Amino acid sequence: MITAERKPLEEILAYIKPFKRILLLGCNECVTVCAAGGRKEVGVLASGIQMSMLKNGTSIEIREHTLERQCDPEYVEELLPMIDSADAVLSMACGCGVQQLATRFKDKPVFPAVNTKFMGGSDRHGVWTERCQGCGDCLLGLTGGICPIAKCAKQLMNGPCGGSARGVCEIGEDVDCAWHLIWERLKALDLTEQYLEIMPAKDWRPGGGSGPRKIIREDLAE
Amino acid sequence: MSFQKRLFAQEFVVLAEMHTPKGVNITRLVNDARRIKGRVDAVVIPDMDNGIMRMSALAGGALMLQHGVEPIIHLYARDRNRMALQGDALAAHVMGISNLLVTHSEGMDQSDHREAKEVFDIDELELVQALNGLNQGKDMGGFELDGTPDFTVGCTIGSFGDEAALDQELIAAQAKVEAGARFIISPPVFDLEKFQSFMAKVKPLSVPVIPTVFLIKSLAIAQYIAASEPEAGISNELIRRIRKSSDRELEGIKIAGETLAGVREMAQGVMLQTLGWEHKLVDILDAAGM
Repeated sequence: MITAERKPLEEILAYIKPFKRILLLGCNECVTVCAAGGRKEVGVLASGIQMSMLKNGTSIEIREHTLERQCDPEYVEELLPMIDSADAVLSMACGCGVQQLATRFKDKPVFPAVNTKFMGGSDRHGVWTERCQGCGDCLLGLTGGICPIAKCAKQLMNGPCGGSARGVCEIGEDVDCAWHLIWERLKALDLTEQYLEIMPAKDWRPGGGSGPRKIIREDLAE
Repeated sequence: MSFQKRLFAQEFVVLAEMHTPKGVNITRLVNDARRIKGRVDAVVIPDMDNGIMRMSALAGGALMLQHGVEPIIHLYARDRNRMALQGDALAAHVMGISNLLVTHSEGMDQSDHREAKEVFDIDELELVQALNGLNQGKDMGGFELDGTPDFTVGCTIGSFGDEAALDQELIAAQAKVEAGARFIISPPVFDLEKFQSFMAKVKPLSVPVIPTVFLIKSLAIAQYIAASEPEAGISNELIRRIRKSSDRELEGIKIAGETLAGVREMAQGVMLQTLGWEHKLVDILDAAGM
């Protein structure tokens, strides 16, 4: 999933300061799962904004709504009956959702209420870690299902650096060395010959660098 | 007189661009430098521009100094992060290279190392700011330097497809001037009338804008630029002139010489760009009577 964290209230308040009527939008997908921008968080943020305004002797009209998916134009159309009565939109979706709204409603200021963080998974309740950097050329089949691009601080492709000790990365006691994990996993799977294969210098093109990436499925595209 | 002194004394400066070799054979570069010595105020050394891996500009600049030619080296953010950029800038200064040109860098998609990861830790404006910071004795982290450099930093105005794009380029150039850029290299001139109106537009930038005079080496190149960059100003008349010429190479040199002579009346300098034909630089200067 795409993970996110809510922005500080002060930053959000600065965005919406010039406006009187705000449409505050959550998203039912990734940001709901990582408890950053779902229906519940929309309610909490709306209350926080109102309380802060009250304290400052100002007020704002907030309409709350949560879409099934903000990154999907089909669901964004749902907003048509309510968009005109808002001066600006505050989105609690990831950056994909925010941009979908800004593209669809060109005359409406759209502001992000969360910081989009990474593609990751849940380790335990309330803890998410990065798992994938979308390099566009998945190597997990060669590395025991552990990604050296997302999990190695140096994105090394052929084993650990000198900063790895007792399975821990030099950048912090709580960071596992990705290549230690890969080695242990390949050993357990009796696939250590994969570890010994030297990977060539990576082709980073599928990971972007020449503008936004695009997927066109001819069989689905209209 | 040094490039910096001529620039600030509002003297006309003549620059010539020379590429480093793809390899360690420096014979041609050194011969070209020797040939041009005394005819130009400085040589501009690109740093793997167009994404072609070559010997770095730092070594090219050092070679120029060894042969008595003042260098200006390119610096940009595609291949180095802020650490490497600042470190190489300091290294350049210690080696005697104090003129740095912060340029736009081509993406890797048309390069000869297409698989490479682009860095772009900072952008051109931030790099100009960083170099200005070094000039004031501080690095980007805010830490004090032991020994402060004195860089003359330049920037570029990139090719522009239309007036709107030029306006954006001018906004960007203004920001770079405010950040410490002391001169600007502008795109090739093929039409002196168009150039005159361009110069009127860049006047508010209030630093010397040094246009490029590009050697048209063949009819095909002229046709390619005319088709791909109509705003560059290569007219049908110019293409006809090259086509009709019995010696197209010589015609290209004459055109560059005439452009150079014309530009001299309107700008405070010129940069000659010959893309591999650096041995023709002297001929262009001769053609311009310079």
